[in-house]
Amino acid sequence: MKISFTLNGKQILVEADEETRLLDLLREDLHHTGTKEGCGEGECGACTVLIDGRAVNSCLVLAPQVDGKELLTIEGLSQSVSLSSADQGDECRLHPIQRAFAEKGAVQCGFCTPGFIMSTYALLLKNSNPTDEQILTALEGNLCRCTGYLKILEAVRYAAELMRGNK
Amino acid sequence: MDEQYIKIGSVEELLQSLQSPGAVILCGGTDLVVKMRKGLLSAKTLLDISDLDQLREIRQERGCIEIGAAVSFSQIIEEAIIREQIPILAMGLRKLGSTQIRNRGTIGGNLVNASPAADSAIPLLLLDAEVVIADSTGERRVQLEDFLCGPGKTVLKQGEFLSGIRVPIPDPEFSSFFHKVGRRKALTIAIASLGALLRMKDDAIDEIRLAAGSVAPAPIRLHPVETLLAGRRVTPQSVEQARNIIRQCISPITDLRATADYRYQVIADLLARLLLTMPN
Ligand code: FES
Ligand code: FES
Repeated sequence: MKISFTLNGKQILVEADEETRLLDLLREDLHHTGTKEGCGEGECGACTVLIDGRAVNSCLVLAPQVDGKELLTIEGLSQSVSLSSADQGDECRLHPIQRAFAEKGAVQCGFCTPGFIMSTYALLLKNSNPTDEQILTALEGNLCRCTGYLKILEAVRYAAELMRGNK
Repeated sequence: MDEQYIKIGSVEELLQSLQSPGAVILCGGTDLVVKMRKGLLSAKTLLDISDLDQLREIRQERGCIEIGAAVSFSQIIEEAIIREQIPILAMGLRKLGSTQIRNRGTIGGNLVNASPAADSAIPLLLLDAEVVIADSTGERRVQLEDFLCGPGKTVLKQGEFLSGIRVPIPDPEFSSFFHKVGRRKALTIAIASLGALLRMKDDAIDEIRLAAGSVAPAPIRLHPVETLLAGRRVTPQSVEQARNIIRQCISPITDLRATADYRYQVIADLLARLLLTMPN
């Protein structure tokens, strides 16, 4: 069936099988491979994307369910600032959350990172100055096997700071 | 898998489509999509009600709050009238799943799934909630306690669907408790959970309502314990008696999360903790 939705600001129209998961539509059909599959059961959060501004597990959403919706994936974050200044050329500029994760060492193998960043983005969209408790709640659906979470927490605090400063 | 998919646009369309054999209602997908992929679901047609606005409203109506079946947990938690008037519901739902799951999962889906561990059922049982069941001839209401029959079983009949939940607004004097024991804080399927609404009068328990999950085929109210404690003071003796009675109300099983023995112990401990820490 035909599905049309907004992906990272662009209107798209795709053909997908009815039982395709959003995760597979993004990765296999649209080649947006930044969104990862960890568990495929809603446990790990590696597949987190935003639908209409809310973080969801794309492994639990069927592709036809996003018809008419607005989607944001990790690819949309870097993009959303990459074209902002002329002298940057084609170079992809990192979103402040991505910068914060890199600078604070919150990335080791990196498999969980897109998911954590999308959950962070959804949080900061609603709450520009979250408490640690609010950060932990926003990230409770994301697992990381490498970092031990402390650096991730630091990175989110720092990202919030960066984004408040940027405004 | 070669299910057909229909995005449902109205209740009339839903009722019509429910007639076809093998039709299964899909909403947030947090349970259904996993079951589908594991081959545990034999559906011919998926009826997606996630955009059915009629089932996505929260309404206040003479002493009751009515929540549509397709309302997400996040929507409920964020709703001011729920946080103010039925805090136990927001409190229980905050412990369900994760942010991502709460954004997609719905109250109707959680109840229809009828898991013995269904988190949303505990607060709703305490609140004496009723479910509203609809079919082509109209509506009927059933107490949630009677709606849930066992693992994956409800009283829903072919051609019927759960359209919403009616929650009587409780006395604001009630204090709320909800404890869930699991392996991990988020995303855990409870090993045992206990919720309570409690009102004190002159140092004694005036009214207490108790409900437990994961210790019986369906989440249950613990009426015998409630009766035992009503009108009594909290003393070492009454706590001990309550611990004994609660063990008789439940029928836990051993599964991969915990043994039945452990569950007996945990539920009694949760009850004791609740009674010993409650405000005077
Ligand atoms: S892949 Fe979706 S939550 Fe793990
Ligand atoms: S950095 Fe490896 S899983 Fe998180």
